[in-house]
Amino acid sequence: MNPTLVRLRGVERRFGSVVALAGAELELRAGEVHGVLGANGAGKSTLFNVLGGLLRPDGGTIEVDGRPVVLTSPRDAWAHGIGLVHQHFTLVPTLTVSENLALGLRGALEPGLSVQRAVRELIERTGLDVPLQPRVEELGVGDRQRIEILKALLRDPRILVLDEPTAVLTPDEIERLFDLLRELAGEGRAVTLVAHKLDDVLAVADRVTVLRAGRTVLTAASGEADQSELVRAMVGDGVVDTIALGLGPPPSGAPPSAPHAERWVVRLRGVDVEDERGWRLHKVDLDVAGGEVVGVAGVEGNGQRELARVLAGRLEATRGTVELPEQIGFIPQNRSTEGLIGEFDLVENVALALYRKPEFHSGPWLRWDGMKRVAEEIRSRYEVAAPSVATLGGALSGGNQQRVIVGRELEMSADLLVAENPTRGLDVSAAAFVHDELRRLASEGVAIVLLSTDLDEVLALSGRIFAIAAGTLRPVSSRARDRAGIGALMLRGERRTAVDSALERGVDDG
Amino acid sequence: MADVQAQSVRSVGALESILTGAVAVALTLLTGAVLLLLGGFDPIAAGGAMIGGAFGGWNTFVSITLVRSIPLILTGLAVALAFRAGVWNIGAEGQLYAGAIAAVWVGIRGGALPAPLLVPAVLMSAGVAGALWALVPTLMHLRLGVGEVITTILMNFVGIYLAAYMVHGPLQEARGVFPQTGPIAEAARLPMLLPGSRLHWGFGVALLLAAALAVVVRRTRFGFELRAVGASPEAAAVSGRIDTSRVLLVSFLGSGAIAGLAGGVEISGLTHALYEDLSPGWGYTAIAVALLAGLNPAGVVVTGVLFGALQAGAGAMQRDAGIPAAWVGVVEALVILAVLAIDRIRRRAGALRAAGARGDE
Repeated sequence: MNPTLVRLRGVERRFGSVVALAGAELELRAGEVHGVLGANGAGKSTLFNVLGGLLRPDGGTIEVDGRPVVLTSPRDAWAHGIGLVHQHFTLVPTLTVSENLALGLRGALEPGLSVQRAVRELIERTGLDVPLQPRVEELGVGDRQRIEILKALLRDPRILVLDEPTAVLTPDEIERLFDLLRELAGEGRAVTLVAHKLDDVLAVADRVTVLRAGRTVLTAASGEADQSELVRAMVGDGVVDTIALGLGPPPSGAPPSAPHAERWVVRLRGVDVEDERGWRLHKVDLDVAGGEVVGVAGVEGNGQRELARVLAGRLEATRGTVELPEQIGFIPQNRSTEGLIGEFDLVENVALALYRKPEFHSGPWLRWDGMKRVAEEIRSRYEVAAPSVATLGGALSGGNQQRVIVGRELEMSADLLVAENPTRGLDVSAAAFVHDELRRLASEGVAIVLLSTDLDEVLALSGRIFAIAAGTLRPVSSRARDRAGIGALMLRGERRTAVDSALERGVDDG
Repeated sequence: MADVQAQSVRSVGALESILTGAVAVALTLLTGAVLLLLGGFDPIAAGGAMIGGAFGGWNTFVSITLVRSIPLILTGLAVALAFRAGVWNIGAEGQLYAGAIAAVWVGIRGGALPAPLLVPAVLMSAGVAGALWALVPTLMHLRLGVGEVITTILMNFVGIYLAAYMVHGPLQEARGVFPQTGPIAEAARLPMLLPGSRLHWGFGVALLLAAALAVVVRRTRFGFELRAVGASPEAAAVSGRIDTSRVLLVSFLGSGAIAGLAGGVEISGLTHALYEDLSPGWGYTAIAVALLAGLNPAGVVVTGVLFGALQAGAGAMQRDAGIPAAWVGVVEALVILAVLAIDRIRRRAGALRAAGARGDE
């Protein structure tokens, strides 16, 4: 058996009255890829932060190489060879990729090795291809994820921990990442992957640990545990959403029926969106009818953000005609920065979408009592885990924030719902909830546009599917309706954005 | 009933702000006492003079402390309104001078009008002038993306020196001896609020305005939009479909108008003429007044009076205990620093609590 590099025993961590970890166990061995699975709120991220020195546990022990250690800062963690790749990006947007990679590297490289050379060698070895000259803010999420991984690898960690690294990568890129992780493990490192998608983890992990409610409920070699066993361990008696777990569409989940041509709700013709950096959308035509789910798959940074905003009536097209219904619900991608206001309570956050409706104001005066009732309703009907509607938006977990947003946007009684990566970062049950609501809404005749980087989600929920690449929308034919087919369409022109921005920068690159 | 609960949650926040302020003041006074000791002064005597000068008797309190608090409350409201919307208007000082200039001009020229017309005209012209003074930074911010902190500060210099030019030039008093304007017409003067004291109706104006702003911020659509834009412009635009530019425009100009009104009230209620050093930096102290009040309009009244007392007491300390005037400035600066530090600490505690409640994720 491979030597154990890290062992966590009985780790506990509380935040006020909330228990995030209640006796978590984790053993990471050299030469292994280890998957950590768990629903939202299971304690994955807390455990990850404890391991990275970002949070101090209230109880339990951490051993590295068999010796107990106290990790009080990320620096401590690094000193023990623990490297973290965060789910939320930690790059400085205004610095170039090279500068970001060089940050904090002082003393971490072998003497005499320049950062540039180290980076080039690493890129060559790992195949994680990123442009080095552009500023990070010019790059898409996929590139940023690769940079995060490079940043961690530059310090040559013995123990590498990745938090949900696959969310923003194409299928092809995920496969390459997994190859790399296996290779890194083969060099004698302990590689840990924190994820909520079963097939991601099973595809690469040698062993898996499942967390539920802050406890380790299962540890097994990935061959030993079958999927249903893992699912049960993850969710307990909770809902099982096969899409969110990456198990493919539900057995009975035939895609919604063809559009009712008599009820076109959205009509885009020749829509362009252009900003100071160039084309974001180019000649987009799209019709959406009531009752259908139209899926748009694409790698981030290819215009789906702009498309979502045009469809939601939040962004004006530079050219072309846009016909939209009066009432539009919008589930934006960034829950905590676009969907909710952290310092607003639930009533105010619900009011954010509803305050303009005639029943919630008379003249300039807001009718808080009405909006409070709606917030109470949303809290109970959508099972938002919050002590009361006076809870601040920022105090909710991601899943509960999404419940509030979904509830609120459904409350709009809209004719069109635009959902942008609505389940990103959500756990199984929260994702299942969102998927169920989208299906229910479509069956009630609402037009739904689902823009997602998650192919499984798009495949499972959508009637018609489009791929977006470099601002161009292409329909996916029924023959190409699988991961490989859509993946190919998504990749077409994917690099173009990077090349384009490089060309626009011109002399800077010289 | 439902609303009562939501309100009570919010007023806990206000109470917390006031407590924070009290701690800040206590710490500052302690530091001030130590400074006095180091300077060879008797802190007890100084403190006695200070308290006596601010609160020593009803007439002292009303005629000195409250009178001094009027421009502080008004500029404090101006700053609170802007900051609440996320607009960093540091330009209340310049806007105040713009308002004062306009008020003097209208107050002198409009002498033929009866008081019920002239007083409102004076105050309104002051507000319009303040708003116009804020218009330049507003447009530069909205159209060109130039940071409003710098532009509002620069506009302060323009306003202060414009006032200086006025009192030496076009608006100088008839004999051309003193650097001040002639007096405004009797009909342009705000009446007294309490007979037998120096407390003029400007205090009433300040209280009414504070109450009106409190209601607007809590109860109206615009107030909600203002708070949303101030808390998160992105979420306000994306989830609320709020026109953030419009909200910024209105709150910025509104803030300028209130600061301008402060200048007009000072002219119409107290000085009846424009001087070169009309304001001892109210527009800057206003930032401390607003922050100490947690940007709550009602709280601004409390902190405005507090700072008015501080200034009244400092004057007495100088007069009765022989402490140099510079010490006042030091104390004020200390209060601002203490407020900022404590505000930060409280926020961090709040963020920790939020993170705790959030738990994992």
